[in-house]
Amino acid sequence: MRSIGGIFGESPFKPLYEHAKKACETAYALEDVVKAYCDKDTSGLSNLSDRIASLEHAADKIKQDVRRRLPYSVLLPVKRSDILEFLKPQDSISDSAEDLAKLMTLTDPYDLPVDIKEGLMEIMAKTTQILDAYMRLVKKLSELSRTAFRRKGVKEALDLVSPVEELEHQIDVISIGLSRKVFKLEDKLGALGVYHLSRIVELLSNISDYAARAADRLRTMLFR
Amino acid sequence: MDAISPAVILVFAAAFYMAWNIGANDLANSMGDVVGARVLNLRQVILVAGCMTFLGAALFGSRVTTTIAEGIIPFSQIDQHLATGGALASLLAAGIWITIATYFRLPVSTSHSIVGAVLGFGLVAAKAGIIKFGDIAWIILLRIMFSWILSPIAGMFLAFLVFTLIRRVLIERVRDVRRLEKIFGFLLICSSCYIAFSLGTNDVANAAGSLSAALGKTGVQIPLWILVFSGFGIVLGISTWGYRVVETIGKRITELTPTRGFSADISAATVVLVCSTFGLPVSTTHTLVGAIVGVGLARGLEAVNLAIIRRIVYAWLITVPVSTALAIIIYLGFWG
Repeated sequence: MRSIGGIFGESPFKPLYEHAKKACETAYALEDVVKAYCDKDTSGLSNLSDRIASLEHAADKIKQDVRRRLPYSVLLPVKRSDILEFLKPQDSISDSAEDLAKLMTLTDPYDLPVDIKEGLMEIMAKTTQILDAYMRLVKKLSELSRTAFRRKGVKEALDLVSPVEELEHQIDVISIGLSRKVFKLEDKLGALGVYHLSRIVELLSNISDYAARAADRLRTMLFR
Repeated sequence: MDAISPAVILVFAAAFYMAWNIGANDLANSMGDVVGARVLNLRQVILVAGCMTFLGAALFGSRVTTTIAEGIIPFSQIDQHLATGGALASLLAAGIWITIATYFRLPVSTSHSIVGAVLGFGLVAAKAGIIKFGDIAWIILLRIMFSWILSPIAGMFLAFLVFTLIRRVLIERVRDVRRLEKIFGFLLICSSCYIAFSLGTNDVANAAGSLSAALGKTGVQIPLWILVFSGFGIVLGISTWGYRVVETIGKRITELTPTRGFSADISAATVVLVCSTFGLPVSTTHTLVGAIVGVGLARGLEAVNLAIIRRIVYAWLITVPVSTALAIIIYLGFWG
Protein backbone atom coordinates (compact mmCIF):
# COMPACT_ATOMS: atom_id res chain seq x y z
CA MET A 1 0.00 0.00 0.00
CA ARG A 2 1.31 3.43 -0.93
CA SER A 3 -0.61 5.78 1.30
CA ILE A 4 -0.41 9.51 1.84
CA GLY A 5 -1.84 9.01 5.33
CA GLY A 6 1.65 9.71 6.70
CA ILE A 7 1.35 13.36 5.74
CA PHE A 8 -1.06 13.85 8.62
CA GLY A 9 0.83 14.18 11.86
CA GLU A 10 -0.80 13.45 15.18
CA SER A 11 -2.41 16.62 16.44
CA PRO A 12 -0.87 17.87 19.69
CA PHE A 13 -3.98 19.92 20.51
CA LYS A 14 -6.12 17.07 21.77
CA PRO A 15 -3.59 15.75 24.32
CA LEU A 16 -2.75 19.35 25.18
CA TYR A 17 -6.35 19.80 26.29
CA GLU A 18 -6.30 16.44 28.07
CA HIS A 19 -3.14 17.53 29.86
CA ALA A 20 -4.78 20.76 31.00
CA LYS A 21 -7.72 18.76 32.31
CA LYS A 22 -5.48 16.38 34.22
CA ALA A 23 -3.26 19.15 35.60
CA CYS A 24 -6.30 21.07 36.81
CA GLU A 25 -7.85 17.91 38.26
CA THR A 26 -4.68 17.50 40.32
CA ALA A 27 -4.98 21.07 41.58
CA TYR A 28 -8.74 20.82 42.21
CA ALA A 29 -8.03 17.87 44.48
CA LEU A 30 -6.07 20.23 46.75
CA GLU A 31 -9.32 21.54 48.16
CA ASP A 32 -9.80 18.35 50.18
CA VAL A 33 -6.12 18.36 51.11
CA VAL A 34 -6.27 21.88 52.53
CA LYS A 35 -9.46 20.98 54.37
CA ALA A 36 -7.88 17.85 55.83
CA TYR A 37 -4.84 19.88 56.88
CA CYS A 38 -6.94 22.46 58.65
CA ASP A 39 -8.91 19.65 60.35
CA LYS A 40 -5.64 17.89 61.31
CA ASP A 41 -6.88 14.74 59.57
CA THR A 42 -3.50 13.01 59.19
CA SER A 43 -4.69 9.74 57.67
CA GLY A 44 -7.02 11.51 55.23
CA LEU A 45 -4.13 13.75 54.31
CA SER A 46 -1.82 10.91 53.40
CA ASN A 47 -4.52 9.19 51.31
CA LEU A 48 -5.26 12.41 49.45
CA SER A 49 -1.58 13.05 48.93
CA ASP A 50 -1.21 9.64 47.28
CA ARG A 51 -4.17 10.36 45.05
CA ILE A 52 -2.64 13.67 43.97
CA ALA A 53 0.68 11.97 43.25
CA SER A 54 -1.03 9.51 40.91
CA LEU A 55 -2.96 12.30 39.17
CA GLU A 56 0.29 14.20 38.67
CA HIS A 57 1.87 11.08 37.24
CA ALA A 58 -1.02 10.73 34.80
CA ALA A 59 -0.55 14.36 33.75
CA ASP A 60 3.13 13.68 33.15
CA LYS A 61 2.25 10.79 30.87
CA ILE A 62 0.03 13.05 28.77
CA LYS A 63 2.75 15.70 28.70
CA GLN A 64 5.15 13.17 27.20
CA ASP A 65 2.54 12.34 24.57
CA VAL A 66 2.26 16.04 23.64
CA ARG A 67 6.06 16.33 23.36
CA ARG A 68 6.18 13.19 21.22
CA ARG A 69 3.75 14.79 18.81
CA LEU A 70 5.93 17.86 18.39
CA PRO A 71 9.00 16.76 16.42
CA TYR A 72 10.92 19.37 14.46
CA SER A 73 9.36 18.17 11.23
CA VAL A 74 5.78 18.98 12.19
CA LEU A 75 3.95 21.89 10.56
CA LEU A 76 1.43 23.47 12.94
CA PRO A 77 -0.99 26.39 12.75
CA VAL A 78 0.90 27.96 15.67
CA LYS A 79 4.58 28.07 16.54
CA ARG A 80 5.87 24.79 17.88
CA SER A 81 8.06 26.54 20.46
CA ASP A 82 5.03 28.49 21.71
CA ILE A 83 3.22 25.24 22.46
CA LEU A 84 6.21 23.89 24.34
CA GLU A 85 6.54 27.16 26.26
CA PHE A 86 2.91 26.97 27.26
CA LEU A 87 3.05 23.29 28.18
CA LYS A 88 5.75 23.98 30.76
CA PRO A 89 3.78 26.22 33.18
CA GLN A 90 0.66 24.12 32.58
CA ASP A 91 2.62 21.12 33.77
CA SER A 92 3.89 23.08 36.77
CA ILE A 93 0.27 23.43 37.95
CA SER A 94 0.12 19.73 38.79
CA ASP A 95 3.77 19.64 39.90
CA SER A 96 3.26 22.33 42.53
CA ALA A 97 -0.05 20.77 43.60
CA GLU A 98 1.83 17.57 44.28
CA ASP A 99 4.62 19.44 46.11
CA LEU A 100 2.07 21.14 48.31
CA ALA A 101 0.30 17.88 49.19
CA LYS A 102 3.67 16.30 50.01
CA LEU A 103 4.68 19.30 52.12
CA MET A 104 1.52 19.01 54.16
CA THR A 105 2.31 15.41 55.07
CA LEU A 106 5.89 16.16 56.17
CA THR A 107 4.99 17.06 59.74
CA ASP A 108 1.91 16.66 61.90
CA PRO A 109 -0.51 19.50 61.17
CA TYR A 110 -0.25 22.43 63.54
CA ASP A 111 -3.11 23.88 65.57
CA LEU A 112 -4.03 26.78 63.35
CA PRO A 113 -5.87 29.93 64.38
CA VAL A 114 -9.24 30.35 62.71
CA ASP A 115 -8.22 33.34 60.59
CA ILE A 116 -5.29 31.38 59.11
CA LYS A 117 -7.59 28.47 58.25
CA GLU A 118 -10.04 30.89 56.66
CA GLY A 119 -7.22 32.51 54.72
CA LEU A 120 -6.04 29.16 53.36
CA MET A 121 -9.58 28.18 52.40
CA GLU A 122 -10.10 31.53 50.73
CA ILE A 123 -6.99 31.14 48.58
CA MET A 124 -8.10 27.62 47.76
CA ALA A 125 -11.56 28.83 46.71
CA LYS A 126 -9.98 31.46 44.47
CA THR A 127 -7.58 28.87 43.09
CA THR A 128 -10.58 26.73 42.13
CA GLN A 129 -12.02 29.77 40.36
CA ILE A 130 -8.80 30.41 38.48
CA LEU A 131 -8.66 26.78 37.40
CA ASP A 132 -12.24 27.09 36.10
CA ALA A 133 -11.29 30.24 34.18
CA TYR A 134 -8.16 28.56 32.85
CA MET A 135 -10.09 25.50 31.67
CA ARG A 136 -12.54 27.74 29.80
CA LEU A 137 -9.60 29.30 27.99
CA VAL A 138 -8.00 25.97 27.11
CA LYS A 139 -11.28 24.55 25.89
CA LYS A 140 -11.66 27.55 23.62
CA LEU A 141 -8.17 26.95 22.28
CA SER A 142 -8.97 23.34 21.46
CA GLU A 143 -11.84 24.56 19.29
CA LEU A 144 -9.81 27.15 17.39
CA SER A 145 -8.12 24.81 14.95
CA ARG A 146 -11.47 23.72 13.53
CA THR A 147 -12.14 27.29 12.44
CA ALA A 148 -8.57 27.74 11.14
CA PHE A 149 -7.85 30.23 13.95
CA ARG A 150 -10.28 32.75 12.61
CA ARG A 151 -10.16 36.19 14.16
CA LYS A 152 -13.49 35.90 15.99
CA GLY A 153 -12.44 32.72 17.79
CA VAL A 154 -8.98 34.05 18.58
CA LYS A 155 -10.51 37.19 20.05
CA GLU A 156 -12.89 35.12 22.18
CA ALA A 157 -9.93 33.12 23.46
CA LEU A 158 -7.89 36.24 24.17
CA ASP A 159 -10.81 37.67 26.13
CA LEU A 160 -10.62 34.63 28.40
CA VAL A 161 -7.01 35.39 29.38
CA SER A 162 -7.63 38.48 31.50
CA PRO A 163 -10.04 36.83 33.99
CA VAL A 164 -7.24 34.37 34.79
CA GLU A 165 -4.79 37.20 35.34
CA GLU A 166 -7.30 39.14 37.42
CA LEU A 167 -7.84 36.17 39.75
CA GLU A 168 -4.10 35.63 40.00
CA HIS A 169 -3.73 39.19 41.20
CA GLN A 170 -6.47 38.71 43.79
CA ILE A 171 -4.78 35.58 45.09
CA ASP A 172 -1.48 37.44 45.33
CA VAL A 173 -3.05 40.10 47.51
CA ILE A 174 -4.73 37.56 49.78
CA SER A 175 -1.61 35.44 50.15
CA ILE A 176 0.58 38.41 51.09
CA GLY A 177 -1.90 39.33 53.82
CA LEU A 178 -1.98 35.74 54.99
CA SER A 179 1.82 35.48 55.03
CA ARG A 180 1.97 38.56 57.23
CA LYS A 181 -0.37 36.89 59.69
CA VAL A 182 1.68 33.69 59.57
CA PHE A 183 4.89 35.51 60.47
CA LYS A 184 3.22 36.91 63.58
CA LEU A 185 2.62 33.39 64.85
CA GLU A 186 6.20 32.65 65.89
CA ASP A 187 5.31 32.54 69.59
CA LYS A 188 2.50 30.09 68.97
CA LEU A 189 3.98 27.79 66.30
CA GLY A 190 7.71 28.25 66.69
CA ALA A 191 10.12 29.18 63.90
CA LEU A 192 9.77 25.80 62.25
CA GLY A 193 5.99 26.04 62.28
CA VAL A 194 6.10 29.48 60.71
CA TYR A 195 8.50 28.25 58.08
CA HIS A 196 6.29 25.28 57.26
CA LEU A 197 3.13 27.32 57.09
CA SER A 198 4.66 30.09 55.01
CA ARG A 199 5.89 27.46 52.54
CA ILE A 200 2.33 26.15 52.34
CA VAL A 201 0.97 29.60 51.54
CA GLU A 202 3.70 30.10 48.98
CA LEU A 203 3.10 26.81 47.17
CA LEU A 204 -0.65 27.27 47.22
CA SER A 205 -0.40 30.68 45.60
CA ASN A 206 2.14 29.28 43.10
CA ILE A 207 -0.64 27.30 41.41
CA SER A 208 -2.40 30.47 40.32
CA ASP A 209 0.94 31.92 39.21
CA TYR A 210 1.47 28.98 36.88
CA ALA A 211 -2.08 29.14 35.56
CA ALA A 212 -1.60 32.84 34.83
CA ARG A 213 1.78 32.23 33.24
CA ALA A 214 0.34 29.50 31.00
CA ALA A 215 -2.54 31.81 30.05
CA ASP A 216 -0.03 34.52 29.19
CA ARG A 217 1.95 32.10 26.98
CA LEU A 218 -1.27 31.17 25.30
CA ARG A 219 -1.83 34.79 24.48
CA THR A 220 1.66 35.01 22.95
CA MET A 221 0.85 31.93 20.90
CA LEU A 222 -2.37 33.41 19.55
CA PHE A 223 -0.89 36.80 18.64
CA ARG A 224 0.67 36.56 15.23
CA MET B 1 1.98 -6.99 -35.80
CA ASP B 2 1.88 -10.46 -34.39
CA ALA B 3 -1.20 -10.24 -32.22
CA ILE B 4 -0.88 -13.57 -30.46
CA SER B 5 2.85 -13.55 -29.74
CA PRO B 6 3.67 -14.19 -26.08
CA ALA B 7 5.35 -10.78 -25.87
CA VAL B 8 2.13 -9.03 -26.85
CA ILE B 9 0.11 -11.01 -24.33
CA LEU B 10 2.68 -10.13 -21.68
CA VAL B 11 2.51 -6.47 -22.67
CA PHE B 12 -1.24 -6.47 -22.14
CA ALA B 13 -0.85 -8.17 -18.77
CA ALA B 14 1.89 -5.79 -17.63
CA ALA B 15 -0.03 -2.70 -18.81
CA PHE B 16 -3.12 -3.95 -17.05
CA TYR B 17 -1.13 -4.52 -13.88
CA MET B 18 0.23 -0.95 -14.05
CA ALA B 19 -3.28 0.43 -14.48
CA TRP B 20 -4.57 -1.77 -11.69
CA ASN B 21 -1.82 -0.53 -9.39
CA ILE B 22 -2.64 3.11 -10.15
CA GLY B 23 -6.27 2.49 -9.29
CA ALA B 24 -5.45 0.53 -6.15
CA ASN B 25 -3.04 3.14 -4.76
CA ASP B 26 -2.97 6.55 -6.40
CA LEU B 27 -6.66 6.89 -7.15
CA ALA B 28 -7.48 5.52 -3.71
CA ASN B 29 -5.17 8.12 -2.15
CA SER B 30 -7.00 10.94 -3.88
CA MET B 31 -10.34 9.73 -2.53
CA GLY B 32 -9.44 9.48 1.15
CA ASP B 33 -10.80 12.88 2.16
CA VAL B 34 -14.30 12.35 0.81
CA VAL B 35 -14.60 9.14 2.85
CA GLY B 36 -12.90 10.73 5.87
CA ALA B 37 -15.43 13.57 5.82
CA ARG B 38 -18.21 10.94 5.63
CA VAL B 39 -19.78 12.73 2.70
CA LEU B 40 -19.92 9.58 0.62
CA ASN B 41 -19.68 5.98 1.69
CA LEU B 42 -17.04 3.62 0.41
CA ARG B 43 -19.17 2.11 -2.32
CA GLN B 44 -20.28 5.50 -3.64
CA VAL B 45 -16.68 6.73 -3.65
CA ILE B 46 -15.49 3.78 -5.69
CA LEU B 47 -18.34 4.21 -8.15
CA VAL B 48 -17.76 7.96 -8.54
CA ALA B 49 -13.96 7.70 -8.66
CA GLY B 50 -14.12 4.82 -11.13
CA CYS B 51 -16.48 6.63 -13.51
CA MET B 52 -14.61 9.94 -13.42
CA THR B 53 -11.18 8.39 -13.85
CA PHE B 54 -12.46 6.32 -16.72
CA LEU B 55 -13.91 9.42 -18.38
CA GLY B 56 -10.68 11.36 -17.89
CA ALA B 57 -8.65 8.53 -19.30
CA ALA B 58 -10.84 7.88 -22.32
CA LEU B 59 -11.52 11.51 -23.25
CA PHE B 60 -8.26 13.29 -22.46
CA GLY B 61 -5.71 10.58 -21.81
CA SER B 62 -4.05 10.68 -25.20
CA ARG B 63 -1.67 13.61 -24.71
CA VAL B 64 0.39 12.15 -21.92
CA THR B 65 0.06 8.72 -23.50
CA THR B 66 1.63 10.12 -26.67
CA THR B 67 4.53 11.49 -24.62
CA ILE B 68 5.29 8.07 -23.16
CA ALA B 69 4.66 6.24 -26.45
CA GLU B 70 6.62 8.52 -28.75
CA GLY B 71 7.74 11.70 -26.98
CA ILE B 72 10.72 10.32 -25.09
CA ILE B 73 11.94 7.54 -27.39
CA PRO B 74 10.89 7.45 -31.06
CA PHE B 75 9.32 4.00 -30.83
CA SER B 76 7.85 4.36 -34.34
CA GLN B 77 11.38 4.45 -35.81
CA ILE B 78 12.25 1.16 -34.19
CA ASP B 79 11.60 -2.26 -35.69
CA GLN B 80 8.23 -3.40 -34.33
CA HIS B 81 9.56 -6.54 -32.63
CA LEU B 82 12.28 -4.59 -30.87
CA ALA B 83 9.81 -1.85 -29.95
CA THR B 84 7.43 -4.41 -28.45
CA GLY B 85 10.30 -5.87 -26.46
CA GLY B 86 11.38 -2.45 -25.29
CA ALA B 87 7.90 -1.42 -24.28
CA LEU B 88 7.45 -4.71 -22.47
CA ALA B 89 10.77 -4.30 -20.65
CA SER B 90 9.76 -0.77 -19.59
CA LEU B 91 6.38 -1.90 -18.30
CA LEU B 92 7.86 -4.84 -16.43
CA ALA B 93 10.62 -2.69 -14.92
CA ALA B 94 8.17 -0.03 -13.77
CA GLY B 95 5.72 -2.65 -12.51
CA ILE B 96 8.36 -4.55 -10.55
CA TRP B 97 9.78 -1.40 -8.99
CA ILE B 98 6.33 -0.16 -8.02
CA THR B 99 5.51 -3.50 -6.45
CA ILE B 100 8.73 -3.46 -4.40
CA ALA B 101 8.23 0.18 -3.38
CA THR B 102 4.60 -0.42 -2.49
CA TYR B 103 5.63 -3.35 -0.33
CA PHE B 104 8.03 -1.06 1.54
CA ARG B 105 5.41 1.70 1.65
CA LEU B 106 7.65 4.11 -0.25
CA PRO B 107 5.66 6.99 -1.71
CA VAL B 108 6.91 6.43 -5.27
CA SER B 109 5.18 7.60 -8.41
CA THR B 110 4.07 5.35 -11.25
CA SER B 111 4.77 8.20 -13.67
CA HIS B 112 8.36 8.54 -12.49
CA SER B 113 8.83 4.79 -12.76
CA ILE B 114 7.57 4.45 -16.30
CA VAL B 115 9.52 7.47 -17.55
CA GLY B 116 12.68 6.07 -15.97
CA ALA B 117 12.01 2.67 -17.47
CA VAL B 118 11.38 4.04 -20.97
CA LEU B 119 14.63 5.97 -20.67
CA GLY B 120 16.34 2.70 -19.69
CA PHE B 121 15.19 1.04 -22.88
CA GLY B 122 16.21 4.14 -24.84
CA LEU B 123 19.75 3.88 -23.47
CA VAL B 124 20.00 0.19 -24.40
CA ALA B 125 18.62 0.89 -27.86
CA ALA B 126 21.08 3.72 -28.37
CA LYS B 127 23.98 1.57 -27.12
CA ALA B 128 22.98 -1.17 -29.56
CA GLY B 129 22.76 1.35 -32.37
CA ILE B 130 19.02 0.87 -32.87
CA ILE B 131 18.52 4.58 -32.34
CA LYS B 132 20.96 7.44 -31.90
CA PHE B 133 21.65 8.94 -28.48
CA GLY B 134 20.42 12.19 -29.94
CA ASP B 135 17.08 10.53 -30.76
CA ILE B 136 16.31 10.35 -27.06
CA ALA B 137 14.33 13.52 -26.39
CA TRP B 138 16.56 14.90 -23.67
CA ILE B 139 14.85 18.26 -23.65
CA ILE B 140 11.46 16.64 -23.13
CA LEU B 141 12.93 14.44 -20.40
CA LEU B 142 14.35 17.49 -18.69
CA ARG B 143 11.01 19.24 -18.99
CA ILE B 144 9.24 16.21 -17.49
CA MET B 145 11.64 16.00 -14.58
CA PHE B 146 11.29 19.72 -14.01
CA SER B 147 7.52 19.25 -13.87
CA TRP B 148 8.02 16.65 -11.14
CA ILE B 149 9.59 19.31 -8.96
CA LEU B 150 7.24 22.03 -10.02
CA SER B 151 3.90 20.19 -9.73
CA PRO B 152 3.95 19.60 -5.93
CA ILE B 153 5.18 23.16 -5.41
CA ALA B 154 2.46 24.53 -7.67
CA GLY B 155 -0.08 22.37 -5.81
CA MET B 156 1.18 23.82 -2.54
CA PHE B 157 0.93 27.45 -3.66
CA LEU B 158 -2.47 26.98 -5.25
CA ALA B 159 -3.90 25.19 -2.20
CA PHE B 160 -2.47 27.87 0.07
CA LEU B 161 -4.21 30.52 -2.01
CA VAL B 162 -7.49 28.64 -2.28
CA PHE B 163 -7.71 27.88 1.42
CA THR B 164 -6.64 31.40 2.38
CA LEU B 165 -9.39 32.71 0.13
CA ILE B 166 -11.97 30.38 1.68
CA ARG B 167 -10.78 31.50 5.09
CA ARG B 168 -10.90 35.20 4.38
CA VAL B 169 -14.18 35.19 2.50
CA LEU B 170 -16.12 32.45 4.27
CA ILE B 171 -14.66 31.08 7.49
CA GLU B 172 -13.97 34.57 8.85
CA ARG B 173 -17.43 35.80 8.00
CA VAL B 174 -19.96 33.03 8.53
CA ARG B 175 -21.55 32.63 11.91
CA ASP B 176 -21.50 28.85 12.04
CA VAL B 177 -18.39 27.13 10.70
CA ARG B 178 -19.96 23.69 11.16
CA ARG B 179 -22.72 24.58 8.74
CA LEU B 180 -20.17 25.89 6.28
CA GLU B 181 -18.37 22.56 6.42
CA LYS B 182 -21.66 20.80 5.79
CA ILE B 183 -22.30 22.89 2.69
CA PHE B 184 -18.75 22.23 1.54
CA GLY B 185 -19.48 18.52 1.82
CA PHE B 186 -21.24 18.77 -1.51
CA LEU B 187 -18.38 20.73 -3.05
CA LEU B 188 -16.01 18.07 -1.76
CA ILE B 189 -17.86 15.51 -3.87
CA CYS B 190 -17.37 17.76 -6.90
CA SER B 191 -13.66 18.30 -6.16
CA SER B 192 -13.19 14.56 -5.69
CA CYS B 193 -14.74 13.97 -9.10
CA TYR B 194 -12.38 16.58 -10.49
CA ILE B 195 -9.26 14.99 -9.04
CA ALA B 196 -10.34 11.51 -10.15
CA PHE B 197 -10.91 12.90 -13.64
CA SER B 198 -7.51 14.64 -13.67
CA LEU B 199 -5.81 11.50 -12.47
CA GLY B 200 -7.42 9.64 -15.35
CA THR B 201 -6.13 12.14 -17.92
CA ASN B 202 -2.56 11.86 -16.64
CA ASP B 203 -1.95 8.49 -15.05
CA VAL B 204 -3.66 6.38 -17.70
CA ALA B 205 -0.58 7.04 -19.82
CA ASN B 206 1.61 5.06 -17.45
CA ALA B 207 -0.12 1.96 -18.71
CA ALA B 208 -1.41 3.08 -22.09
CA GLY B 209 1.82 4.74 -23.28
CA SER B 210 3.97 1.64 -23.38
CA LEU B 211 1.04 -0.45 -24.54
CA SER B 212 0.61 1.86 -27.53
CA ALA B 213 4.33 1.73 -28.25
CA ALA B 214 4.32 -2.06 -28.05
CA LEU B 215 1.48 -2.28 -30.55
CA GLY B 216 2.98 0.31 -32.87
CA LYS B 217 0.13 2.76 -32.28
CA THR B 218 2.27 5.75 -31.57
CA GLY B 219 0.80 8.35 -33.89
CA VAL B 220 -1.04 11.49 -32.88
CA GLN B 221 -4.24 9.52 -32.49
CA ILE B 222 -3.90 6.94 -29.76
CA PRO B 223 -6.64 4.34 -30.40
CA LEU B 224 -9.52 4.85 -27.99
CA TRP B 225 -9.66 1.21 -27.04
CA ILE B 226 -6.14 1.37 -25.58
CA LEU B 227 -7.21 4.21 -23.28
CA VAL B 228 -10.43 2.39 -22.48
CA PHE B 229 -8.52 -0.80 -21.68
CA SER B 230 -6.12 1.05 -19.36
CA GLY B 231 -8.91 3.12 -17.82
CA PHE B 232 -10.76 -0.08 -17.10
CA GLY B 233 -7.64 -1.41 -15.36
CA ILE B 234 -7.58 1.63 -13.07
CA VAL B 235 -11.27 1.19 -12.24
CA LEU B 236 -10.67 -2.47 -11.46
CA GLY B 237 -7.74 -1.45 -9.26
CA ILE B 238 -9.78 0.77 -7.01
CA SER B 239 -12.68 -1.64 -6.83
CA THR B 240 -10.66 -4.78 -6.07
CA TRP B 241 -7.95 -3.47 -3.78
CA GLY B 242 -8.19 0.30 -3.58
CA TYR B 243 -11.14 0.24 -1.22
CA ARG B 244 -8.79 -0.95 1.54
CA VAL B 245 -6.49 1.98 0.86
CA VAL B 246 -9.43 4.40 0.76
CA GLU B 247 -10.69 2.99 4.04
CA THR B 248 -7.29 3.21 5.76
CA ILE B 249 -6.68 6.74 4.55
CA GLY B 250 -10.25 7.81 5.27
CA LYS B 251 -9.64 6.95 8.91
CA ARG B 252 -6.43 8.96 9.11
CA ILE B 253 -7.62 11.84 7.02
CA THR B 254 -10.56 13.00 9.17
CA GLU B 255 -8.65 16.25 9.70
CA LEU B 256 -9.10 17.11 6.07
CA THR B 257 -12.58 18.54 6.63
CA PRO B 258 -14.61 19.54 3.53
CA THR B 259 -13.18 23.08 3.23
CA ARG B 260 -9.64 21.74 3.54
CA GLY B 261 -10.21 18.69 1.36
CA PHE B 262 -11.85 20.83 -1.30
CA SER B 263 -8.89 23.25 -1.32
CA ALA B 264 -6.36 20.44 -1.63
CA ASP B 265 -8.36 18.54 -4.26
CA ILE B 266 -9.08 21.33 -6.69
CA SER B 267 -5.53 22.64 -6.45
CA ALA B 268 -3.91 19.27 -7.08
CA ALA B 269 -6.44 18.39 -9.78
CA THR B 270 -5.89 21.68 -11.61
CA VAL B 271 -2.12 21.30 -11.59
CA VAL B 272 -2.37 17.71 -12.86
CA LEU B 273 -4.86 18.68 -15.56
CA VAL B 274 -2.63 21.52 -16.76
CA CYS B 275 0.29 19.08 -16.90
CA SER B 276 -1.89 16.66 -18.85
CA THR B 277 -2.64 19.29 -21.49
CA PHE B 278 1.10 19.84 -21.87
CA GLY B 279 1.57 16.08 -22.14
CA LEU B 280 3.63 15.96 -18.97
CA PRO B 281 3.39 12.76 -16.90
CA VAL B 282 3.37 13.90 -13.26
CA SER B 283 2.56 12.29 -9.96
CA THR B 284 -0.98 13.00 -8.76
CA THR B 285 -0.10 11.73 -5.30
CA HIS B 286 2.94 14.00 -4.91
CA THR B 287 0.94 16.97 -6.17
CA LEU B 288 -1.80 16.20 -3.67
CA VAL B 289 0.76 15.97 -0.87
CA GLY B 290 2.07 19.39 -1.93
CA ALA B 291 -1.48 20.74 -1.85
CA ILE B 292 -2.08 19.34 1.65
CA VAL B 293 1.09 21.06 2.84
CA GLY B 294 -0.27 24.26 1.28
CA VAL B 295 -3.47 23.95 3.33
CA GLY B 296 -1.31 23.36 6.41
CA LEU B 297 0.71 26.50 5.68
CA ALA B 298 -2.56 28.43 5.54
CA ARG B 299 -3.21 27.22 9.12
CA GLY B 300 -5.86 24.80 7.98
CA LEU B 301 -4.51 21.65 9.62
CA GLU B 302 -3.62 20.76 13.18
CA ALA B 303 -0.43 18.89 12.31
CA VAL B 304 1.28 18.20 8.99
CA ASN B 305 4.12 15.73 9.08
CA LEU B 306 6.78 17.31 6.89
CA ALA B 307 9.05 14.29 7.33
CA ILE B 308 7.07 12.65 4.53
CA ILE B 309 8.44 15.25 2.11
CA ARG B 310 11.92 13.90 2.66
CA ARG B 311 10.62 10.40 1.99
CA ILE B 312 9.02 11.59 -1.23
CA VAL B 313 12.24 13.24 -2.37
CA TYR B 314 14.19 10.06 -1.61
CA ALA B 315 11.61 7.95 -3.43
CA TRP B 316 11.82 10.35 -6.37
CA LEU B 317 15.63 10.23 -6.49
CA ILE B 318 15.76 6.46 -6.21
CA THR B 319 12.91 5.69 -8.63
CA VAL B 320 14.44 6.98 -11.86
CA PRO B 321 17.82 5.21 -11.60
CA VAL B 322 16.26 1.98 -10.32
CA SER B 323 13.55 1.77 -12.97
CA THR B 324 16.08 2.75 -15.65
CA ALA B 325 18.47 0.03 -14.49
CA LEU B 326 15.68 -2.54 -14.20
CA ALA B 327 14.51 -1.82 -17.75
CA ILE B 328 18.07 -2.25 -19.05
CA ILE B 329 18.53 -5.52 -17.17
CA ILE B 330 15.17 -6.93 -18.25
CA TYR B 331 15.64 -5.94 -21.88
CA LEU B 332 19.15 -7.39 -22.05
CA GLY B 333 17.99 -10.49 -20.14
CA PHE B 334 15.24 -11.27 -22.61
CA TRP B 335 16.49 -9.95 -25.92
CA GLY B 336 20.13 -9.01 -25.41
